[in-house]
Formats: sequence, C-alpha cells, structure tokens
Amino acid sequence: MAATFRLTELMVVRCAKEIKDGEVVFAGVGLPLVVVSFAMATHAPNMILLTEGGSIRATAPPGLAISVDDPALFTNADATHGMIATMGTLQRGEVDVAFIGGSQIDRFGNINSTGVGSWGTPGTFTYFAGSGGANDMATSGKRVLAIMPQDPKKFVEKLDYVTTPGFLDGPGARERLGMIGGGPSVVVSTMAVYRFDAITKEMVLAEYFPGQSVEKVRANCSFDLKVAPDVKETEPPTEGEIALLRNIDPTGFYLR
Amino acid sequence: MSVPDKRMSLKEAVSRYVHDGDSVYYGGFQIMVPMALTHEMVRQRKKNLTIFNASTDVGGLDLLVAAGCVKEMHLAWAMNWCVKAPYAIRRAFQASEIQRFDLSNCSATSALLGGSLGIPFVAVRGNIGTDIVENNTNDLKVIEDPFTGEKITIVRAWRADVAIIHAQKADPLGNVVSWGTRGVTDEFGAMGSRRGVIVTAEEIIDTEVVRSDPDRTIVPYFKTLAVVHCPWGAHPSACRGYYGLDIRFCQYQGKYERSADLLPKFLDEWIYSCPDHDAYIQKYVRMFGPEGLERLRPKLGFKSKLEVDYGYHDPAIWQGVPQYTDKYIRG
Repeated sequence: MAATFRLTELMVVRCAKEIKDGEVVFAGVGLPLVVVSFAMATHAPNMILLTEGGSIRATAPPGLAISVDDPALFTNADATHGMIATMGTLQRGEVDVAFIGGSQIDRFGNINSTGVGSWGTPGTFTYFAGSGGANDMATSGKRVLAIMPQDPKKFVEKLDYVTTPGFLDGPGARERLGMIGGGPSVVVSTMAVYRFDAITKEMVLAEYFPGQSVEKVRANCSFDLKVAPDVKETEPPTEGEIALLRNIDPTGFYLR
Repeated sequence: MSVPDKRMSLKEAVSRYVHDGDSVYYGGFQIMVPMALTHEMVRQRKKNLTIFNASTDVGGLDLLVAAGCVKEMHLAWAMNWCVKAPYAIRRAFQASEIQRFDLSNCSATSALLGGSLGIPFVAVRGNIGTDIVENNTNDLKVIEDPFTGEKITIVRAWRADVAIIHAQKADPLGNVVSWGTRGVTDEFGAMGSRRGVIVTAEEIIDTEVVRSDPDRTIVPYFKTLAVVHCPWGAHPSACRGYYGLDIRFCQYQGKYERSADLLPKFLDEWIYSCPDHDAYIQKYVRMFGPEGLERLRPKLGFKSKLEVDYGYHDPAIWQGVPQYTDKYIRG
C-alpha cells in the first residue's frame, strides 16, 4: 500500500538518493539539512557533512539543525574549525556534493537567492536572503544539488539577479572563468526532478512527481523545457522512509 | 604590569565605544548574535553605522535597520530565519534608506580574515561570473592572477572601527572565551577591528581560569575595550551550553518585523521601554512565563572527555648535562 506523504518528504527522500556513500557533502540551510541526516541514517552512513557554520562531522547531528551553525551540528562533531575552514575545503576542491536551495532558477541552472525586481532601480527590488554560502558552494563543489519551489515565476528565462553560478550562458563558460567545480547536477523542485544535458548544459526534465505530468511541469516553467526521452514518474517514499524522516524533524519545522 | 579592569555596564560600553558613523563588525550567525548590544545601540539611537557581517539569522539587523541606526551593510545573508525574510532590511533598501553590498560567505569571511591579518585584500574562488561582482565593486574586483594570468576574484579586507560580539565567558581584563563553534567569524572580525571589541558574556571568570586553557580564548585582552556581564545577551539567538534558539520568540518578533506599522511598537515595548537587558528578560518572563526561558535550556551532558594538560618542560634540566657525542663527532 502506498504511504501517505507530504511533498517535502518526497523531495527529501528523492534528494537523498543523489548522495553516494562516502561522499563529502556541503549542506546549505533548509531542507538540505534534513536530507543529509536522512542519507546518513539510510544508504550513506559514511558520508562526511560540512556546513557554513564550520562543523565537520562523520555522524548525523544528535538533533535537527535549524541552521548551518546550529549548536546541534557541533555536538560530537569531528572538528569545529569555523566557516573559513569549511570554505577552504570547498576552495581546495574536496567537496563532492554542494547542496543548496534557491528562489529562482534558469535553464542553465543559475540560481537567484538575492531577490526579485531590478536591483539597480530604486524602489523595485525585493530582497530575500542573499548568497550566504551558495555562491561558493556552486562555484567549487564537484557537483551541485539544488532543491527549490517551482512555479512560472521561479523557473524563468532570465533571473532577476544571478547569485549563484550554474552553467552561466552555456557550455564552456565556467571553464573560461576558472571555476573548479563541475556545476549543476540535479535539481529537485516541488514538482519534478531535473538533470543537465552533457553537451548543451541545459536543464532536462528527468522525472515528474506522483500526481504531476510532463504537461503540468511544463506549464510551471517559463523557459522551453527539454524532456528526457526516458522521463518517468518519481518513486514515492516508503512508509519506513517517512517514519524515519518524521523522527529527524518531529515538529515539522522543515517538513510541515 | 597592571592591566585595567574593563568591566562596565552595557549602557556605558555602547556610549563610550560605539560612535555615530562607525563601521561595526556584527558578531554571531544564528548563534551568539550580540542581541543585547543590538538593543543597546537601538536604545542609544546610534546613527549612520556601517555593518560588516558574514551571515545573520535572527533579525537583529532588522531591528537595527528599522530603528534607523544603519547607513550601509556589507554581508552575505541577513534575515530572521524563523520567518524566512528580512522584512525591515527589504523595506529600507526599497526606500533607499540603506545601501547594501552583497557578497558570498567565503568572501565575507575572507574579508574579515584579511582584516585580521592586516593585509589589503584576499583572493577567493567565488563571486566571479555572477551579479555579485557586478553590483558590489566596493568590496570585490576580478583581477588577473599575477602568477598564472588566470582570472580571480579578490575581496578587500574589512577593518571595522569596533567589533561587537557575545561569548560564553570573559575575564575582567577582556580575554574572551568561547567554544563549540569557535565564533564562526568572530575571531577575525574582532582581531581586525581598529579600536577594539565590546563583548557581552554569560559569565565573568577569573583570569587564572582563562589562562588554564588558553586554546579557548578567541580574543586576547589587548583587543578588548569593554567587558559586559550579560546573561541571556544573545537571546533570542542561541548560546552554546547556555540556551538554544528561541524559535517561538523569533517567530513572534518576525510578526512585528513583517509590518512597517507594527515594528515601531516592538522597538518601543521591547527596547526603548526597557532600560537594560535585564528589563527585557524580565518582560519576557512576565509575558511568556518562566517556562519560556526554561524551554531554552540545552540538553547537556556532552562534557569534553579529553584530559588536557598544558604542562611544559623546563630547559633548566640541561644544566650540567654533558654534550651528547659519538665517534663521528669531533670536538
């Protein structure tokens, strides 16, 4: 029997499958913090977790981390060297997976988390958070996982502000600027899962969530979305996976 | 040598050492945010401050901006994470009341590191190729690496006039002790400050105790201007080992931040009408009960299992010990 699950739970479980055991994962704030704890409790017990707050750990935190410098991340950590040290790990090219959120994305996986409107025109720009570490993570992580909401204003032809580099304007752009990271690998939205074409570097619809369809996903994307020939429906999470997740975030701070 | 006792009240520390027009390193992140100092700067109606910070998560800067204290901010991330938006900063930016200079966390930390090292700039990998370098030429430039000829972003070093931080412990001389996150960026922001550091601390301890474990000292006394004994000084942010993030209060404060009409009421009731931080905490207890503070107590029982001994070796032991030699060594 299919389990009853929340959309966030489906997103978390799907994202976790992108993490391989033993990888070094740099997790940004929000759902990524739930994903890494879930991955460490399931198929990736040997994952290494880094956060912007500066925690370096081979085990999941004892409680849910509300932010990337939550005290729980430092309890029984392997090292607590601070932001400069985990950022250094990124810049040395030692992070396998950079795991970020965002507010707007374009076809090349460039992400905006700064705000919407025209930044340079007084009175028109609505600030969100800013980069935080997302720019650094996406510049230097070997591959980038992004998790974000989807609607036509969020999956756009042109970002209002490029906070975080994807493939910029297409093939070769990252290399020309000397970026050491490989760029976007997978995007998990509130509707679907995307990969990137190896040649054109454009986002490709790989999976749609249960209850969604290629048409519905396309209707919620403002650029001309390419669809993988083998596009399929995402596997729903199991009852066991959901029980485990709700144990990680019992009050639903993130999953609610 | 005698070193002055730098203990003073919150009011005295801010009035003596934070001046209108100063640049201020704003400490903390989600934890250890100098909220009592934030409130006091609001209370004293400081003006035209420039803020340097990497990331801040509990709305302290929203209050400072809403109170009209800030002219300029240089940072990577600012919001009250419990309501997921920086409402007052957003409104002030839209009204052109503040200037904002964005950069990434690694750049901000590197700018503070550069300041602490006393050098003019630091190279970083991020920012290049994005609107961050286009819009913030105040802090960032893309140059040619003089060694390889490749493009690289540099960030100018930040040296604030004064740093404000919260810590678990400090001694009367101004040695600041913190553990569990190593201050995130506070060591750099504090050491790079030009005039020095104002620290609020949960506890004041003897200098002898500090010196028994100097690895934990994040700021040595000579950089410190003022030491303020201030329990709950980071509330509603967390202080490792003392209290956790007050999610309900951040959400409550966020409801005020959301509305330009309501926020002045929060400033009135929680800051201007409270003569000091004790009065703020007493108001909290009156409104939400002592159980509100009780809920913030952390789960303890994670004491260090390392036995650390800073014992040293006295070279006097070599007195009278003949030189070691063998058949190959002459003389």
